[in-house]
Amino acid sequence: MDLLDWVLLVARVVIVFFALLIVVMVLIWFERKVVADMQTRVGPMRAGPRGVLITLADGVKLFFKEGITPTNADRPVYAIAPILAMFPAFLAFAVIPFGTHVHVFGRDVPFQLADINIGILWVLAMASPNVYGIVLAGWSSGSNYPLLGSVRSSAQMISYEVGMGLSLVAVLMYSGHLSMTAIVDQQAGVFHLLGLGWLPFPRWNFVPQFPAFVVYLICSLAETNRPPFDLAEAETELVAGFHTEYSGIKFAMFYLGEYVNTVTVAAIAVTLFLGGWRGPAYPAVIHWFWPLLWFLLKLVLVMYVYVLIRATLPRMRYDRLMSFGWKVLIPFGLVWVLATGAVVVLPEVYGRRAVLVGAAAILGTVLLVSSLPALFTAGKKEQVRS
Amino acid sequence: MTAQEYAFTVLAVIGAIAAIAVVTARNVVHAALYLVVTLASVGGVYLVLSAEFVAWVQILIYVGAIVILFLFGLMLTKAPIGRDALDNEHQWVPMMVSGGVFAGLVFLIDRAFHLDSRARFAAFPAPTARVGDSLFRGFVLPFEAVSFLLLAALIGAVVLARKDEAK
Amino acid sequence: MLRDYLPVVLLAALAVAFAVASMTASRLLGPNRPDPVKLSAYECGNEPIRLPKGEKFGVKFYVVAMLFIIFDIETIFLFPWAVTFRTLGLFGLVEMAIFIGLVFVAYVYVWKKGGLDWAEGQGPASVREARAAAEADLGEAARAR
Repeated sequence: MDLLDWVLLVARVVIVFFALLIVVMVLIWFERKVVADMQTRVGPMRAGPRGVLITLADGVKLFFKEGITPTNADRPVYAIAPILAMFPAFLAFAVIPFGTHVHVFGRDVPFQLADINIGILWVLAMASPNVYGIVLAGWSSGSNYPLLGSVRSSAQMISYEVGMGLSLVAVLMYSGHLSMTAIVDQQAGVFHLLGLGWLPFPRWNFVPQFPAFVVYLICSLAETNRPPFDLAEAETELVAGFHTEYSGIKFAMFYLGEYVNTVTVAAIAVTLFLGGWRGPAYPAVIHWFWPLLWFLLKLVLVMYVYVLIRATLPRMRYDRLMSFGWKVLIPFGLVWVLATGAVVVLPEVYGRRAVLVGAAAILGTVLLVSSLPALFTAGKKEQVRS
Repeated sequence: MTAQEYAFTVLAVIGAIAAIAVVTARNVVHAALYLVVTLASVGGVYLVLSAEFVAWVQILIYVGAIVILFLFGLMLTKAPIGRDALDNEHQWVPMMVSGGVFAGLVFLIDRAFHLDSRARFAAFPAPTARVGDSLFRGFVLPFEAVSFLLLAALIGAVVLARKDEAK
Repeated sequence: MLRDYLPVVLLAALAVAFAVASMTASRLLGPNRPDPVKLSAYECGNEPIRLPKGEKFGVKFYVVAMLFIIFDIETIFLFPWAVTFRTLGLFGLVEMAIFIGLVFVAYVYVWKKGGLDWAEGQGPASVREARAAAEADLGEAARAR
């Protein structure tokens, strides 16, 4: 590596970091606007044109606020917690390919910070420092509400981490690659839906892996503490949760971390399930621009879904949240992983037709057997009523 | 020294200092955090050795799950919230035991690998596919045995919790 | 291979530097007028105390963390398998089905023992009792009519 390589590398890192900050800024505004729209309010209007600078204004306000460290707090840990909550989200974004590459100064600069061989595992590994941010914030505050809130939301996060891991494994099985770039490449080309030649559909993973996609979306909401899983900030019962004692810039760090995390999980959804930067057309003019555009459009789309979910669903009760994670998502994820394995492996061994017939027979038997008890209990209920 | 050897030295020093801090820390939660640093630096050493998969598994399991379990246990039972300290007075026995184990390990490693100052650093890249291949072809029985271990652990966890609740 | 991680290390350094710098700058630029009441923990004016001695809360959280470790390990084993299962064929599938099946047995056991239930008395046994009681009530009501 010579000097130019180093300059390009550092420039790439700095640009991605600040671009991510700007994207987060705009997406927070976008979220507030959409939620306002759905509640027939106008939302932020004052800072900048149509309030687009509202996040910046909030950040500046928090920056100049007094930072309070409670007397009871464990000072070093209290200061580290916001950093731990913020930087893993940036790191997880590092493996996302958000475009192809651009040719500058005779070098190819990829639109991806690091093409790590084990991209998917990396994404999962970066979810754990995040939990530390929350646990430590709650403990170090030296107050009961934050402690309760942090233990509660970290238990939530680790529970849904399992479901998320299982959905990632399903994608990995289907595409056969751990590297994010390879997964995007695998999603090139088109399907012909229903075997119809005239109905091409992009070969994106969310079609064959739709159940995994749904599991991933649900788990990503729970991982980032977004509504309807935002028990981390249940004002009504915990006075806010793990960040009750935080104020000023340290609170801003938690806020930033949460939203960078949201953008990152949305970007992962785009990359793994929605074809990454691939789009319908790449015109020849400014060839690097189009993939980036498709990527951003899909990112906004996923964010829009997140915001719609936030605006429509009420917060879940904690016991329901946990039993949904453990009793529904995890067994479903395990079954889906095995089903994906069977769908890929069995036709190679027995041929496609035999597997189809076998699957139909098993499905029929299962349906029949599972409907039998229902028939009996239906009869019983009639007896009770009569 | 090569770049890898520099990286190893830095990681080893950080890990060793953090390990000492684990036992000298006055506050149990701080001790758990130093333990995180030690475990992460071990992960870093795996990475330096090009064992990418093992490195991130180390982070995921030890840092992401096991220390979280410790922290939950500490926070929900023993750890005072905030700044109070907790200390154990019986430090001599563990110190002697760990010193003895350390000396024994140094002796064994020296005998087994013939420590040589001229030994060069060698990394064997192990892609995940190769790990999978040897695990699921060569070590089928141990792999299935692991599932028995997990089964036992899961049942043990529930039994312990029930006992605790009954009290 | 280690070179792949260089941008990640730089990004981590930048993110931490950004956080530390903004926290330091904010401390220097912002007001700092502490007083004992402001610095006390949020507790409606009381001194925060830990739960009374001997009182424990949330063994459940501990159980969740243990269950998480076990399922995390299981997921980790799925990763190398997912990369190689195409070449392993039917053998690999059966192998993994046995592995998952065994852990699933334990999972069902935990479920039946109420290890996955959160609210007090939500365990299967108590649910059965409650259901039986409700059905008895229904029957009584029907007879009364």
